[in-house]
Amino acid sequence: MTGKEIPRALLLLLVVLTLQLTVVLDIRIGGAHPDLIVGLAVTAGLAGGTQRGALIGFFSGIALDLFLPTPFGLSALVGTAIGTAAGQLAASGVDRTNPLFLPGVAALGSAIGVIMFAVFGTILGQPDMLTAGLGAVVGVVALANALASYPLVRACNWAFGQEVSGSAWRGSLVTGDAP
Amino acid sequence: MVAVLVLVSVTLITFDERSGTNHLTSGLKSVAHDVFSPLIAGVNDILRPIGDFFAGSVHYGALQAENQRLQATIGSLELQLRETQGLAKQERELRALDHLAFLPDAKTVTAQMINFNLSGFDADITISKGRGDGVTVGEPVVGAGGLVGRVIEASHSTAQVQLLTDSGSSVGVAFGPSNQIYAQVFGQGAGSPLSVEYIPAQTPLHKGEKMYTNGLQGGAFPAGIPVGVIHSFRSTVGTASMVVTMTPLADLSQLAFVDVVQSEPPL
Repeated sequence: MTGKEIPRALLLLLVVLTLQLTVVLDIRIGGAHPDLIVGLAVTAGLAGGTQRGALIGFFSGIALDLFLPTPFGLSALVGTAIGTAAGQLAASGVDRTNPLFLPGVAALGSAIGVIMFAVFGTILGQPDMLTAGLGAVVGVVALANALASYPLVRACNWAFGQEVSGSAWRGSLVTGDAP
Repeated sequence: MVAVLVLVSVTLITFDERSGTNHLTSGLKSVAHDVFSPLIAGVNDILRPIGDFFAGSVHYGALQAENQRLQATIGSLELQLRETQGLAKQERELRALDHLAFLPDAKTVTAQMINFNLSGFDADITISKGRGDGVTVGEPVVGAGGLVGRVIEASHSTAQVQLLTDSGSSVGVAFGPSNQIYAQVFGQGAGSPLSVEYIPAQTPLHKGEKMYTNGLQGGAFPAGIPVGVIHSFRSTVGTASMVVTMTPLADLSQLAFVDVVQSEPPL
């Protein structure tokens, strides 16, 4: 991540975190609310590659951890893993021309992120994370991040200084991991 | 790079877990809450209508019915307001509602709920008062009706409250004709009834029976705060204790204001 990208990435992180802690918390479906932070990690990885995905995932997770009662660092660990995996997928040359690719990956990545959070939380002694409405949380987070994936990836492209018009990002290699 | 970030994350988790409430991480959280609270409050004022719009689109049917009920309530409130000459009377009524009959002499700090269930897995709320207002970790929190939970984190201007229904919540209770029977109430997650344990089989119970804090647990909760009413109970053959569930007396899904009960200074 270059010096020019850092202020933009910080601004993006601040905006998404603020949205998460305000208006997003009010959206409740089946008792669960969306989680834009894990969606940001996935889309940062898709838009910016492995390193940017990992960095955005880590720092957005750390920022969210400051407001959660769960172990400090847990969201950062999940964000790093999800951002890295999304970045590796983007750099693998997978066909991204299908318009459903981005929302599909955002939904799947988010679902995996939420399940990882619950599994690691349980290992660390957090009670009932694998039973207390996990299905609803996974479903709501996956659906919301599928819907938010296009705005999020556009925001990530802006933060990474990638001038991408229309859907061109889907067909090109991400700059961070170009061979 | 990725390996370093993972290592840092694991180190932070280990650091946090090893010492329970770690000074460094709780300090960072406290600063973050203090910095973000005004921003969140301001953004909430601007953006909450948008969130309400989306929430409304999801729960349209239920909201229509609630809207009709609220319209009726508003009508009667407007009438009441005119009759009682405005805001001064309204304020007196609010204060009367806030008066806690079960804690007449306790010093309390009234706080507004500003967020709830931040992680999606826990049953917790964030309130608008913190260390600067005298709120400290461990203090009981009550609402109209009874016990709500306890403070688990406190920054300068906000505090996080673990609700009774949180899976990590545990409260000692007393009940019976002269509150001589003790039990322990455990949370089972938001929206689920509380579980009451260690009640011996064949203990006479009745549905709707109230349970109160017993004042034990090292004084974590003062005795006599209503906790909930028995929702269901049954004895299972061959077991020494009964299976009992409880409904909290405070409506945890409709919290707007709560009172933090101040700790008594040590003698």
